[in-house]
Amino acid sequence: MTDTPMSGASTATLNKPPAALEIIDLEVAYIVRGVPREVLRGVSFTVAPGEAFGLVSESGCGKSTSAYAALRYLPRNGRITGGKVMVDGDDITAMNTSQLQKFRATEASMVYQDPGQALNPSVRVGRQIIESFTLLGQNKSQAHESALKALHKVRIAAPESVMDRFPFQLSGGMQQRVVIAMALACDPKLLVLDEPTTGLDATVEAEVLDLVRTLRQESDAAILMIAHNLGIIRNMCDRVGVMYAGKIVEQGVCADVFDNPQHPYTVGLLRSLPRHGIRKTDRALATIPGILPLIGTTLPTCVYVDRCPIATDLCRTEVPPVVTIGDDPGRFTRCHYPDRVKDIPEDLAPVGISMLTQRADQPDVLELSHVSKTFRQRGHDIPALVDVELELGEGETLGIVGESGSGKSTLAKTMLGIEAADDGGQVSLDGHGLEGVAAKRSADDKRSMQMVFQNPDSALNRAWSVRRILVRSVRKLTGVGADEANKRVEALAAHLRLTPRHLDLKPRQLSGGLKQRVAIARAFAGDPRIVVCDEPTSALDVSVQAAILNLLADLQAQQKTSYVFITHDMGVVRYLADRIAVMYLGRIQEVGLTDDVFKGPHHPYTEALLSAVPNVDGEEKVRIRLDGEIPTPANPPSGCVFHPRCPRVIMGVCDVTEPALLEVAPNHSMRCHIPVEELRVLQNIE
Amino acid sequence: MSLDPEPVPTVVDPVTPNVNVVAGERKQARRENFRLLIKRPGFVIGALVSLFWVVCAIFGDAITPYDPLNFRTTKHLKPFGKYIFGTDQSGRDIVSRVMAGARDVLIVAPPAAIFGVLAGTMLGLIMGYFGGWVDSVLSRVVDAFLALPVLLIALLALVTLGKSRVVVIIVVSILFAPVVSRTIRAAVLAERDLDYVTSARLRGEGSIFIMFREILPNVSGPIVVELTVRIGYAVFTIATLSFLGVGPPPPSPDWGAQVSDGYGVLSAGIWWPTIFPALAIATLVIAVNLMADAVQSVLEG
Repeated sequence: MTDTPMSGASTATLNKPPAALEIIDLEVAYIVRGVPREVLRGVSFTVAPGEAFGLVSESGCGKSTSAYAALRYLPRNGRITGGKVMVDGDDITAMNTSQLQKFRATEASMVYQDPGQALNPSVRVGRQIIESFTLLGQNKSQAHESALKALHKVRIAAPESVMDRFPFQLSGGMQQRVVIAMALACDPKLLVLDEPTTGLDATVEAEVLDLVRTLRQESDAAILMIAHNLGIIRNMCDRVGVMYAGKIVEQGVCADVFDNPQHPYTVGLLRSLPRHGIRKTDRALATIPGILPLIGTTLPTCVYVDRCPIATDLCRTEVPPVVTIGDDPGRFTRCHYPDRVKDIPEDLAPVGISMLTQRADQPDVLELSHVSKTFRQRGHDIPALVDVELELGEGETLGIVGESGSGKSTLAKTMLGIEAADDGGQVSLDGHGLEGVAAKRSADDKRSMQMVFQNPDSALNRAWSVRRILVRSVRKLTGVGADEANKRVEALAAHLRLTPRHLDLKPRQLSGGLKQRVAIARAFAGDPRIVVCDEPTSALDVSVQAAILNLLADLQAQQKTSYVFITHDMGVVRYLADRIAVMYLGRIQEVGLTDDVFKGPHHPYTEALLSAVPNVDGEEKVRIRLDGEIPTPANPPSGCVFHPRCPRVIMGVCDVTEPALLEVAPNHSMRCHIPVEELRVLQNIE
Repeated sequence: MSLDPEPVPTVVDPVTPNVNVVAGERKQARRENFRLLIKRPGFVIGALVSLFWVVCAIFGDAITPYDPLNFRTTKHLKPFGKYIFGTDQSGRDIVSRVMAGARDVLIVAPPAAIFGVLAGTMLGLIMGYFGGWVDSVLSRVVDAFLALPVLLIALLALVTLGKSRVVVIIVVSILFAPVVSRTIRAAVLAERDLDYVTSARLRGEGSIFIMFREILPNVSGPIVVELTVRIGYAVFTIATLSFLGVGPPPPSPDWGAQVSDGYGVLSAGIWWPTIFPALAIATLVIAVNLMADAVQSVLEG
C-alpha cells in the first residue's frame, strides 16, 4: 500500500478480491418515541482491502450511523430496515449474536472519537491491552508479549511504563495510540475510525494521523474513516463519499472529488471553507441556504433540492440518476445536472471592511500590561498566564491561537473580569484601568466588553425565551425601560436576521447557527466596544460557520467593534483576524499582523502549528512534527517553555534562559533565541 | 445602542430552520411525553388509587356507608358480612373509618412534602451556587442531620412542641429538607458552570437573580421528581407517627391510630381492625411511588 490515492482503487478494480467492506442499499432507522425515523436511506459503498474510504458530511447526515452499521453496532433504538453489510464476503446483517461477537472480536475494530471514554478509567492500560489479546485465545505471557509489541507498533517509546499507568495519566494523543493498538490487536480486516482526532490538539492530531498513515503501510486492513474535517479525509483516504440526508450524493477518488466536485452540495461545502488563504477583505464566505431536512421526514425526490442553487422543476419531480463520471464506476454524483455544477455562480459580495495593515492608525481600545494569572490548586501555584502584554485597536480583530492549556481562554476571562488578574497586572479600557473582577466594574465598563461563547447550548439559558434573554441583556446593560428595551431587541434581532417568530422560541427550538446568532445578539445588546469570541464556530458545521463569520465581519464593519477572537482553526483566524497572537503555556510566543505571521519567518511553534493543519487543497508542504507532549502549566520546562518540543532548539541556550518577546520587524514580535534572519533561512522564506 | 432597525435583507438565511416545523415537533414531543406517561400501567394504577383516596379525603363522611365516628353496633364483627371490613373494638364500621381516615393523612402529607421540598430546594440552591466554604459548612450540617434517626427526632419534637397538625407538617418538612437539598445541590452544581451563568455575571446580575431566575427553572425536573417521591415518604412517616401515638387523638379515624388501636387484639385472632387501615397506608404509599417512578423515568429518560 502506498500513499498515492489512486492505488487503492486501481488494485481493487484489477484483481477483484472480495471487498473488505461492502454496504449495499443500507437503510437504518432510529425508533424515537415508538416512531421509526429513517437515518440512512439506501447507502452503498465498497472498500477494498488496504484501501481507506472516507465519509464526510455535516452533522446529522448519517456518517456516524454508517460507521456503526458497518460493525452492526447500532444504539439500542437503531434498526437496520433494509440492505446488507458484507465484511470480507460475510453478510453481518444475517449473523446471530455469537457469530457477531466472534466477528467483532476477530474481523473488525473501531476507534472512537473520545479515547478517554473508550478506555476503562479504573484499570491499568496494560491490563486493558493484554485483555484484548487474551480474548483471542493467547495465554497470559503471550498476551503480555503481544501487548508490548502492539504498543511498540503504535510508536510508544516506553511501552513498559505506559502499561503500568492508568488512562488518566496519559495525554489524549497517547490514549488514542493505546486505543489504536487495541483495535489492531486482532489484525482486523476492517478498521473503522470515527472522528479519531476531533478532540485532539492540532499538533497531536497531526501525530496521530501520521501514525495511522504509517500503519496503513504495515497492514492490509481496509479503513473506513469518518470525519467532518475535509482536510483530514483528503490527506488520509483514497476515496471519499459525500453524504447528505442519509444518502451518498457524490463519491470518488479524494483528489478528484475535492478538486473537481460534481454535486452542488460538495461545491457548497468546499466553498464555505475559508481556503487558499482568503481574508475577510477579499470576499464573504459562501454559505448554503436553507437547512438539512429533519431526520425521519419524507424527502423530496432529490435530497438537496431545497438548498440547491441550480435546481429545476425536473429535480422536484424526478429522482436524480446516479451519473458516473469518466471510466471509474466508483466515481459518481446523484444529480440531474452534473454539467452545470461548475457554473454555480459564486455570489461573493465583498464584506465592506478594510483590513488594518498598520497598528498605529487606530487608537487602542484595550491594553493589557504585565497581566499574569496564577491559579492555586492543592497548594501548588499554576501559572496560567505569564506577563502578557497586548493591545487592541478600535475595529481591530486580534486572533489568539494556541493548543489546549496555552492560556487562551484564561486570557479572555481575565480581560472580561471573570477571573481577576494577579496583582501587578493591569487591564485598561480606553486608557482607564479596569477593576479585576467584572462585578466591581462600572456599568459602562461592563457594557463595553461582552463575550460570545463556544457552545451556544451552554451559553443560552434553555428555560428562557430568546426575547427574554435579549431584553434582559439590553435592560441590564443599557438601563432602559421595558418598552424601549423591547423595541431595541426587535431592531437588534432584525439586524442579525432573526425574525420576530424566533424571538418567542426557546433556544432548543433553534438550530445551532441560530442559537449562536442569539448569543451574538446578546453580546451586542449594549453596543459594546469589544467582543471576546471564544471559539464561536467550533461547535458548528462549516456552512453555518461561514454564515456566522460573515455576520461577525458585517457587524464589525458597521460598528467598529473590536474582536478578540480565540480559535484553534488557522483557516478561520486567517480569514477574520487583522493581527494574531500565538500562545504557548500561558506566554505569547509571537504576535504580529496576520499576513506576517502566516508568511513568516515564524516562531518555531507557529511554524509547527501551521504545518499541522490538514489541508483540503492538497498542496504539498514540508511538515514540521513535534515530539513529546504539551507540558502542564503547573510544571513548565526551564528556559524557553517550548524548548523540549522545539525542532530548532539550541541546547545550552534555549533550555537555560527564557527569551524575551522582542520586535523582529515593525508590528511583529517573537519570543525566540534564534535570530530572525536565521529563521528566515531555516524556513526557506524569501 | 446604535443599531438602526435596518430592513431585513432579502437573502435567504442559511441557518434559519423552518420554525413551524420545529415548534410543532416540540409540542408533539410534549404530547408524546404525556402519552408515554399515561401509557405506563404503573402511572395509571397509581393515579387511580391516589384519586380514590383523594375523593375519600374530600368528601369524608358524606360518602362513607356509615358515620365513621358515631355509628355503633356489635364490636369485633367479622368482615365480609354486613360490614365488609367488619367492626372495631367500639363497634364502628371499619370501611367507613378507613375511607374517612384518608383525610387525616392527605391533609398533612402533601403540605409536609411541599414545604420540605421548598426548604430543601432553597438549601440546595445556596450550597450548589455558592460552593466553597458555604457548601462545606452546610453540607456537614446536612450530613449531621441525615445521621439522626428521623422518627426519634420527630417524636421528640412532637412531644415537646405539642401534637397539632401544623407541628407535624413543620417537623416532617424540616426532616425532609436535607435529603432534598442534596439532590438539588447536585443539579445546581451541573448548572453553575454553564456559560449562561457566566454571561449573567458579565452583565452584572446579582446572586439572588442568578439563583432564582436563571438556575431554578433549569432544575425544575429534579424538583418535580423529589416532590412526588417525598409525598410517598410523608404518607408513610405520618402514619408511623400516629401509630406511635403522636397523631390526631381518638376517636379520629386516622389510619396509623387505627392500626395502633387494633394492634392489641391481633393476638386474639381479631386481625381486621389492623389489616385494613394498614393496607390503606400501603396502597397510598405504593400508588404515589408508582407515579413518582413513572414521572422520573419520563422526565429523565
